Amino acid sequence: MSPEPTPILRAEGLVKRFGGFYALGGLTFHVAPGEILGLVGPNGSGKTTAINVISGLYAPDGGSVTFEGRAIGGLSSHRLVHLGINRTFQVPKPFLSLTVRQNIEVALAYGRSAAAPPSMESLLEEYRLADVADRPAQDLNNVQQKTLDLARALATGPRLLLLDELAAGLNPTELDWMAGRIKSLARSGMAIIVVEHLMGFIEQITDRVIVMNAGKEIFEGTLAVAVKVPEVIEVFLGGEHAA
Amino acid sequence: MPSAIRHLLFIVVPLLVVFAILPGVYENHLMLFNFVVFLILAQGVNVIYGFTGYLPFGYVGFFGSGAYGFAMMVMHAHASAPVAVIAAGLAGMLIGLLLTPLLRLSGAYFAIANLASSLAVLHFVANPALEDITRGPYGVSLTATFNPEAAYWAALVVLALTLGVVVYLKNSRFGLALQAVREDPVSAGMAGVNVVRMRVAAWLASALIAGLAGGVYAWYVSVFFPDNVFSGTFSIFAIVFALFGGVATIIGPIVGVLILYGVYNLIGFTTPQYFQLIYGLLIMGLVLFLPAGLVSLVTRRGRHVP
Amino acid sequence: MLVYALVAGLLFGLYFSLVGIGLNLVFGVMRIVNLAHGDFLMLGAFIAVGVSALAALDPLFAVPLAFVVFVLVGLVLYRLLVPRLQGSVNPEMLSIILFFGLSQVIEALTTIAFGTSERSIDSSELGAILAPLRTALFGGDADGPVELFGQSFPASWAISATVSVIAIGLVYVYLYRTRLGTLTRAVMSRRDEAFATGINVDRVSAAAFGIGLGLAAVAGVFAPFMFGSVTPAFGEDATVTSFAVVVLGSLGNPLGTALGGVVYGISYMLVQTYLSSWADLLPYVLLILILLLRPSGLLGRRVRVA
Repeated sequence: MSPEPTPILRAEGLVKRFGGFYALGGLTFHVAPGEILGLVGPNGSGKTTAINVISGLYAPDGGSVTFEGRAIGGLSSHRLVHLGINRTFQVPKPFLSLTVRQNIEVALAYGRSAAAPPSMESLLEEYRLADVADRPAQDLNNVQQKTLDLARALATGPRLLLLDELAAGLNPTELDWMAGRIKSLARSGMAIIVVEHLMGFIEQITDRVIVMNAGKEIFEGTLAVAVKVPEVIEVFLGGEHAA
Repeated sequence: MPSAIRHLLFIVVPLLVVFAILPGVYENHLMLFNFVVFLILAQGVNVIYGFTGYLPFGYVGFFGSGAYGFAMMVMHAHASAPVAVIAAGLAGMLIGLLLTPLLRLSGAYFAIANLASSLAVLHFVANPALEDITRGPYGVSLTATFNPEAAYWAALVVLALTLGVVVYLKNSRFGLALQAVREDPVSAGMAGVNVVRMRVAAWLASALIAGLAGGVYAWYVSVFFPDNVFSGTFSIFAIVFALFGGVATIIGPIVGVLILYGVYNLIGFTTPQYFQLIYGLLIMGLVLFLPAGLVSLVTRRGRHVP
Repeated sequence: MLVYALVAGLLFGLYFSLVGIGLNLVFGVMRIVNLAHGDFLMLGAFIAVGVSALAALDPLFAVPLAFVVFVLVGLVLYRLLVPRLQGSVNPEMLSIILFFGLSQVIEALTTIAFGTSERSIDSSELGAILAPLRTALFGGDADGPVELFGQSFPASWAISATVSVIAIGLVYVYLYRTRLGTLTRAVMSRRDEAFATGINVDRVSAAAFGIGLGLAAVAGVFAPFMFGSVTPAFGEDATVTSFAVVVLGSLGNPLGTALGGVVYGISYMLVQTYLSSWADLLPYVLLILILLLRPSGLLGRRVRVA
């Protein structure tokens, strides 16, 4: 076992309230460069909220988030992107009336990545968007829009990538392909957090999972161990999980 | 040849040349001047609505502020007309700056708040209590700077600047980023775009354009009342002309002004209520059957429109 | 003077609630901005003028007539306009322009039919049918002013306010005590989910649109008494006032409009009494401030920030 590398992102006691509802009630976790961390839990357990807070969509109401040792709670999205954090969305959000190429061009031009970002052509090639490069994004199917979301995120050269249910809606062949892409990104040193319902996919790609319930982590470790923990099983009972 | 140069050579320059020659061959100079003013305003609406999606229902607020900025510079500072036109642009921008908080609102809320703000500026300027400063409801008369011919040329300069801005937006990454913000502000942030700064920049640019237009208008007409230069007709015409042609293009608003304002001049003056009727039906038909404007007849066939 | 301003403000405020409530119902259910709202008020006023002048009847008879006619008009217009509009990319934004077009058509047609002259009705005609009842209950002069809190007010104000309260009460009964009304509230709070749960959103929307227009026309019946007179151009001002009232109470919450109307009416009368030269500015400034400071309105919970 090699010693664990220094985490790139640490969340400590993260709190997010909506009115009186605690979407996050003191979430603590970390992720290291090159690591793929799975965030799992039943609906409403706060997975997407966690991603939204880390990517600057919401400011946290308590606790701290540090990225490369720097407090980033409450910074706006574009600042976080410039620091090296990016994400995809559960429901893909491309710029619908712009072409695929223009979608990526905006991110290449404004992403200001510290590392040299990938080139337009390599992104189009690697994410199977070359054939539709000059079509408006609204003509794309859901899977293509999801990969476009990913390509746009990668164009900003992130060191931490948050993937919100990227696998939902992909067929088995596409799932394998996507798993390969995500693993190779991690091998290049990128830290990746994956929110996902598909346990098979989680098992295939993650090094470690955090199981969340009611806005808090209740387990940390590998998925294989997680499914044997009574507390975790209880949380998932009646849910979509089949261990 | 880069597309920006092509757009300048084949769209902007010919349009300016035509409007530079027309006064020599056509007698109704006021109508020509109004065409130029509406070309400026429609493109100003294009900058803010076409590229960022904010519908400026009170766009005339900037125009009227520009006209009064011009008048006050001439009346109180005895400024020369060109200086006063620049002040007019700044007056428009100043109002734009005051109204930047409105950009926090979205959709219909922004449109309504912007309409209300233009009416607020009107009632402020027209208030009898401010007679010493703005002449209140009694209007201004600027005989010292009266020179319609010079004002017409100034309007052409403003039009050239405005078209330059639109050509830049159409061909630059800045313009692309603005459109990204319009399509999806959250995603634009994730592309690294500073959404707030982008919106404010486009907003102020479009306020400056309308302010300058108000300035040259005040110079040209030289006698006007608050109700004239703050008339909602300016906002509505500019929006409808831009939409009719098609926003987020260079050519759309130009086509819109030439056709619709042309129609207006054919039937509008003699029987205003019939014009209003046709105009209202035209707007409704536009929204229901051609919401992306005339250019969409071409773009829906897969062709690009500058 | 303060008591007078407060009571007059309350009477006007109740009336303003009626003026705005239809607009809010339509926006709440359909996310459509009916910029022609004021024009339906204006048409209601013309019905009252017609009932009074042609049939020599108490204008109160215009209330049911206006309501029924405009519910029907609303149902027809809904079929013609709304499905197509909601199939477009950005219905909320385009609705502003579409209904602006409609307001132009209505104003033009009314001008063509009736000319631009001001129409008014002798205020003693309103409620003449109730005069025996009034003398029986309160005694005194049958067509004189009414006494409230030691101040006297035109009887027409009190009648307008009373009818407004009744109408708002009926809207409450509709929304909370009928099946269609319950569905209407469901659509207002979660439009997307309402589709998914199999509610006939189309039927609910058509009903809300019809009732919204009917209520506008009923409010219009009293406009000649509350504002002195009406012209075909009255619609535009009425629309802006309605927006101020509705936004004050919170857009999308029809009963909030009742509060919005009263707040608006009282502030209007207070400004009118103590700062009359700035009274014109009030609706606009109030509208902008509320949108910026408390974007969800006094009673709202919906987020409307970009």
